[in-house]
This record gives sequence, structure tokens and C-alpha cells, in this order.
Amino acid sequence: MTDILRIVIAPLVWLAAFTTVYALHGLVCGHAIGGMPFGTISVPRLLLVSAYALAICAQIILLISLYARRFATQSEFVRFVSRATGWTALVATVWTLLPTVTMSHCL
Amino acid sequence: MKALERHREFSRIWASAPGFKGLFSTVNHTDLGRMFLVTAFFFFIVGGILAMLIRAQLATPHSAFAEPDLYNQIFTMHGTIMMFLFAIPTFEGLAVYLLPKLLGTRDLAFPRLTAYGYWCYVFGGGMLLFSMLFGIAPDSGWFMYPPLTGAISSPGINTDFWLIGITFVEISAIAAAVEITVSILKFRAPGMSLARMPIFAWYALVTALMILTGFPPLILGSILLEVERAFGLPFFQAEFGGDSLLWQHLFWLFGHPEVYIIFLPAAGVISTVLPVMCRTTLLGYGWIVAAAVALAFLSFGLWVHHMFTTGIPHMGLAFFSAASTLVAVPTGVQIFAWIGTMWKGRPDLRLPMLHILGFFVTFVIGGLTGVMVAVVPFDWQAHDTAFVTAHLHYVLFGGFVFPILAGLYYWLPHFTGRQRFFYLGEAAFALIFTGFHVTFLAMHWVGLLGQRRRISTYMPEDGWTTINLISSIGGFILAIGIAMVLIEVILHMLTSRRSPRNPWSAGTLEWAMIIPPAPYNFASLPHVTSREPFTDDPELAVRLASGEGYLGRPNDLRETLTVEITSGKPDYHVIYPTNTHLPIIMAAVTGTFFLSLLLKAYWCIPIAVIGVAALAWRWVWVLGRKQDLPVQDIGHGIELPNASTVEHSPGWWGSLFLLVANATFFGSLLFGFAFLWTVAPGWPPPAWFDASAVELALGTTGAMVGAAAIRRARRANALRQPPLAWLGLCFAGTLTVAIAAAAITLRVPAPVEHAYAATLLVLGSYALFHASLGMLMVAFLVSRTALGFTSAARKTEFPVVQLWIDYLGVIAILVFLVVHLTGWLS
Repeated sequence: MTDILRIVIAPLVWLAAFTTVYALHGLVCGHAIGGMPFGTISVPRLLLVSAYALAICAQIILLISLYARRFATQSEFVRFVSRATGWTALVATVWTLLPTVTMSHCL
Repeated sequence: MKALERHREFSRIWASAPGFKGLFSTVNHTDLGRMFLVTAFFFFIVGGILAMLIRAQLATPHSAFAEPDLYNQIFTMHGTIMMFLFAIPTFEGLAVYLLPKLLGTRDLAFPRLTAYGYWCYVFGGGMLLFSMLFGIAPDSGWFMYPPLTGAISSPGINTDFWLIGITFVEISAIAAAVEITVSILKFRAPGMSLARMPIFAWYALVTALMILTGFPPLILGSILLEVERAFGLPFFQAEFGGDSLLWQHLFWLFGHPEVYIIFLPAAGVISTVLPVMCRTTLLGYGWIVAAAVALAFLSFGLWVHHMFTTGIPHMGLAFFSAASTLVAVPTGVQIFAWIGTMWKGRPDLRLPMLHILGFFVTFVIGGLTGVMVAVVPFDWQAHDTAFVTAHLHYVLFGGFVFPILAGLYYWLPHFTGRQRFFYLGEAAFALIFTGFHVTFLAMHWVGLLGQRRRISTYMPEDGWTTINLISSIGGFILAIGIAMVLIEVILHMLTSRRSPRNPWSAGTLEWAMIIPPAPYNFASLPHVTSREPFTDDPELAVRLASGEGYLGRPNDLRETLTVEITSGKPDYHVIYPTNTHLPIIMAAVTGTFFLSLLLKAYWCIPIAVIGVAALAWRWVWVLGRKQDLPVQDIGHGIELPNASTVEHSPGWWGSLFLLVANATFFGSLLFGFAFLWTVAPGWPPPAWFDASAVELALGTTGAMVGAAAIRRARRANALRQPPLAWLGLCFAGTLTVAIAAAAITLRVPAPVEHAYAATLLVLGSYALFHASLGMLMVAFLVSRTALGFTSAARKTEFPVVQLWIDYLGVIAILVFLVVHLTGWLS
């Protein structure tokens, strides 16, 4: 079962991060959280971009772990598939949460 | 023992009861797989006839063919039948029939569960058919948006048929998903590591896991909407703190993954059949597995792209637009792997290959229009037009029906033991392909010209007349093609000559047996050393029939073995239950529960619930033994322990994956609560819950005591000490949880006045239900222990109950925290 988890862990973390950022976005807009305490950066933007950065960091750490000998599996096949899904999850995180940086948040 | 004698002995042990009556007691996967497929194709024909009625209606303007009310029922039932009663059950049927054969074993993990799932499907589908025949079918479109489906807008019983019937059918899907997941992970031939699994098994595994996590949001939504309609709890009514958008979220949390739940098994068929048709091996096996896993996950991040026109902020739209474009990448990886496979091999244009080519053309077009509607500005223009209807048909017909027809012709000799003789199929393919594209290319066009979906008529001056007529003609050509397939299959079953054993020279294990298959599949189980064992060893079928594999000695038991998940090393020995009427009776009693809800005969519900509980008790009870089973010799000098003596028996694995589905249901409920609190108008509620520190403490303590006590009971049993006192304490802890949960349900503010109180009532009821279930399980374990069905060796029921008590502990504590803390925070 550990090997199955190894294959799905990175996409699972992407899904969790994607849902969390979307929920955070809902909270920010639903409760009209605002303010500009950091110059030109608003609180909502700061929260969302921080979550985005955290999600990317988590994916990078996971990917490094999937390459690390310490967490290596005996199965070459599982190693390959888990790394492929790890890269997919990293790309998915960068691409799908990119709007936190580029889009207006509550319009 | 000679091969023929072995065949007769195994057939006697594994056969279903003879004759028509045997269908009602069979638990054999080959029988049930065929029954699933035949029933699903019956529904396909019904759904197809409804499609023809739609096209007849739209062929001309001012059509008087069907009144608007009837037309609403027709298109709703067409979508409902094709999605829920054809596509998913076809996957279930194919997986049930094929998986044990592909995996080199004798049956699925839980044969009675397969039968239970089948009968739930038949009874649930029957309810929907009944509604159609009597003119009271669902009529609000297959995605049932409130407020149109609320009690005010749809006061009749039509919507209830959908909500209750589909929930009943979904039991079948969840049962099959648990069955398929455990079977693929544990019930394989020795030596079949993850790297050697047939590609169809990977696709089926991914699909089953998607069903486990994709269906619960819809089940929750259906329950909430039905409760709103029946008892007035306002989950979707904006004026009482509800929100109709909550339904859209819950529905599409299911609905978008559903598209991939339908596509992925079909992709598994393509990946299995295509290399055989091209006389080569699959290119990029590892890439395809990774792409299937990636596709499954990405598909859960797309649901809001069905809601682009609901006023969601731009950033929210952009998240889902980005995810929707990204999902094309793993799909493209698979398409290129298949093209590479064709390039590598020597394609042979036999009938399955024609359907695969039809799939390529159609599905790629559907994928490209999918990228178009993933782009928000385009979607705003095309939303709710016939363009979207055409797009989804390209994806679903292209991505499912063509591959399934390829699979049908590929495995037809396996199902029947006969080879094709009439050759109607080639002409049928030409008609289906032509008819489909004429119908739906035209539908794209008319959609872009502004024709909305689901309209019952239009005006001549709209300028859609000719296009609709062309589309309708195409639809009837398509129908003639499908009818020809049906005729050919019937003729084939009745009159064709016998097929050789492996007519396609395939390398997978399902062909290493006599066809049509014997009820036991393999007289002895193979040792697998590659992905195509039959190619490596053409004499494999004969050697297995001669008993050279594992478990080759008949001994009056239905036996198989499990393996370790990654390596495929033999793990433990399993004895299956035999033929029984229990599944059909259980499905009938379950159906009584749903029917009581539908007919509002609420007095009957407790009777049905007690009936289900009693049958579930009996279900597990008959598996017990009062003697320890010694290790079993499976041949080749290997001895394995019996499943009753291991920590993680099939029952434990089944419970684990059922709890995954259950946790998704619970997570969706919490999401719904948070969504309403955050987004819905009409908050704060008129009254908050009166939080109680005593109840909170009592409930959480009970949950923790229960979890601790079941561990001590398990440990006492392992040490040969009596576990009954600990089990008693566990029961007391669980009872405390039940009392604390009951207190929530009794003390919530009036639930019909606001969605807040209504949601708390559902949360409390959820905890109460699981506490009652926990008490039933602990009582069962007490009975088993008291009557000598457990021992230090026969310990396997303790971990199963522990899993459920642990789950109860987690959800109960979360429910108590959510309910009481929200009361305080207010």
C-alpha cells in the first residue's frame, strides 16, 4: 500500500492545495477581507500568494523525497510512475494556482 | 488427476445453481458480469430509443410529436439512463467479468457483494423505468438543478424518483468500486507485481478509486435535496440561509470526474485491444499509468467549469479554466502512446480496430471542443446551447461507446465461445460512424447559431430547421447501425460456429482458459513473470488445466489466494462463500427502504432498516468458523495462512475503501456547511445552537474510550485473555457517543427555519448513525467471542471493528466540535 500512496501522494497534495486555495479565495471574498498593510500588496493577495508559494514548496519537497534514496522503493516501475506523477503535480500546482498572482481576486 | 476430471470437479464446486433460478442465487463473477452487461445494454437501447424521440421532436419546427411536459421527461431520462444505468454499469459489468481472468485468479474479492450490487442496480433502474412507463419520470434535466427541482417548482413525485432511484443505483457503483479496488490490489496471480498488471487493471483501479471519491458528493446532494423536498429542511432555499449553488457544487464535484470515470475504463479497453490489433505491445506502459493517475486527480479540479456563468469571481474562474486546459495533457500522453503503438506495430483493420479508429477521430474532436469550452469567454457564449450537448456527446460517445464496441467485438468470442460469422459489424460501424458525425457536427453548428439545449420546439424563422433535420437523419442512421450490432450479437450467440481458444493471439491471461469460461476460470493459478504471460508461454493454458499452477487440487471449497500489493508474492489463502439468495434478499429489503421514502410510507422505514441490519448480521455470521484453520498448502512447496488468521483480511481492506468513500461523504457535508456559512445569503440564522460543554466532553470522551477499549480487546484476544470486558467498555463508549449525537438532533433550533439548523441536524444524525453502526458491530463481536467464533488465531474480525470504531471516533469528535464551537462562536 505504501507504493500506491507513493504514486498518489503528490497529486493528492495538489488536490488539497487547489481546494484550500479556492476555499481561501471564497473566504476572502465571502467575508470581504481587505486592507493594504504592506504598501501596494493587499491582505487577500498576500494570503493567496502565500498559499500558492507554500503549495509549490510542498510539491518541490515531495518531488525531492521521491528522488531521495531514503524514501526509495524497491520497485523500479513504482519509482518511475511516482516521479512522473510528482512532476505532474508540481506543474499542476504552478499552472492552476497561477491566477493568485495574475488575476483580480473578488471581481 | 486428469485435466478433464479436474475440470468436472472444479465445475461442480464453483457452478451456479442450474437453470433460470440459478440467476437469483449466483455469486459467480462470470455470470454476474454477463448479467451486468446484458442489463446495461438493455438500458442503452432504452436510452437510445429516447434519443430517437428527441430527434423526432426536433426534426421540424413547431413539432407536435411530444408535449413539453413529456419532452422534459424524455430528455431527462435519456441523460439519466445513459449516465447512470448504461455507462457506469457497463464498466462494472466489464470489470466484474474480466478482472479475475486478467489477474489470473478465480473470482473477485467479495462475490456476494457483486451480486448485491447487481440487484441494487436492477431494482433501482427498475424504479426509474416504472416511473417512465407511468408518465411520472423525472423531468428537470439529468443534473436536477434546484430551485427547479425544489418542492415548490416540482411538487410531483417525478424528482423524487430521480433522487431516490439514483441513490439506490449508486449503492451498486460504490459496492462495485470497493470490490474492484480490493480485487486488483490483493487478488492477483502470484508473481503479478504492480509492474506486471494488465493495463486494463490499472485503469479499472483508478476508475474504482474515482467512484469511491466522486460519487459521495452526489449521494449527499441527493439526500439533502430529498430531505428538503420531504421535510422542508431548506438547504437550497436562499430565503432560509440555503443556496441553490450548493447543489451545483455537489453535483459537479461528482459530475465532472464522472466524465473520466466513464472515459478511463474505455481507455483501458483501447490500451488492451489496440496492441493486439497492431500485433505488438503497448508503447509507454509506465507513462500511460502515470497519465491515468494524473487524469484522475486533475478531473477533481474541474468541477466549477460547469458553473462559469454563475457569477463566480474572475480568479475562481481562472483556477478552473487553467485546470481544464491542463487536463488535456495527460489525455494527450495517452493518445500519443496509442499512436506510437500503432506506429510500432502492424495494424490489422479488423472490426475492433475500426471502432478504435472511430474512437480516435471522435474523441480528439470532443477533446478539442472541450478545450474551447474551458476558455471562459467562449463558454459564456456557448453555455447551455446545443454546442455543449454536441461536445459532451463527442466525448462520451467517442470516448466510451466506440471503445466499448471495440471491446464487445474483441471479447465476444470469450463471452460466447463462438466466432463471428455474419459480418454485419463492418456495415454497422460505417452507419454508426457516419450517423454519429452527421448528428453531432450539425448540433455543434446549430448551437453556435444560438439553439439552446433542452428546448422542445423552435420557430422556422430561427434558421435552424435544415440543420436540425440533417441532425435527426444522422441520428436515425446511427440508430440503424446500433440495431445492426444488436442483431449481429444475437445471431452470433444463437448460431455461430465455435471459436478457437485464443482467436486474436493475445498475450493476456483471460485467453488462457477454455471459452466460454468455466465457472472457476483457472484449474490452477498461474505464476506470472511478465505482462503478457500467454505470449511468453503458449502452453500455459494446457499446463494450468493440468493443475501445474497453484491450488490445483479440488477439495470441495471455493479457494483462491491473495498477494502482497507491490511484489505479487503470495500472502494468504481465501475461502469464498457459495451460492446464496442473501444478496437479492438484501437488495430487495434495501429497495423497500428507498421505496418507503418514495411513497412516504415512513412507518415502513424502521422495519426496512432493521431488516437490512439483520441481513448484514447474517451476511457476516455465516463466514465464521469455530476451529482454527491450519496453514494451507497451495502447491510448489508454499504454505499460506488462512484469511481468518491475518490482520488485514479482505474484509479489512473492503472496510478501508468503503470508509474512504464515507470520509468523502463526510468531507462534502463539512464543505456544504462551510459553503453555506460563507457564501449563502440569509445568514446569520435566527437562532444559534445552545452549546453544551457537558455534551461536548461526554461525546469526545466516549469516542476516545471506544477507540482505546477496542484496542485493548484486540490485545487481550491476541494474548488469549477474555476480551469481553473491553468490548463491553467499547460498547459503553460508543453508546455515549450515540447519546451525545442524539442530544444534538433533539436540541437544534427549528431545522425548517434555517439551513444552519438543518445542517446541524444532518451532522448530528450522521454521528448518531455511525454510533449505532458501531454498537451493532461491537455487539456482533461480543456474540462471536462468546460463542467461540474467535480465538487468538482467528483474530481477523477485531481489526475490522477497530477500523470502524476509529472512524466513528474521528467523525464524532469533528461533529461535536463543529456543532458546539459554532454555537459558542456565535
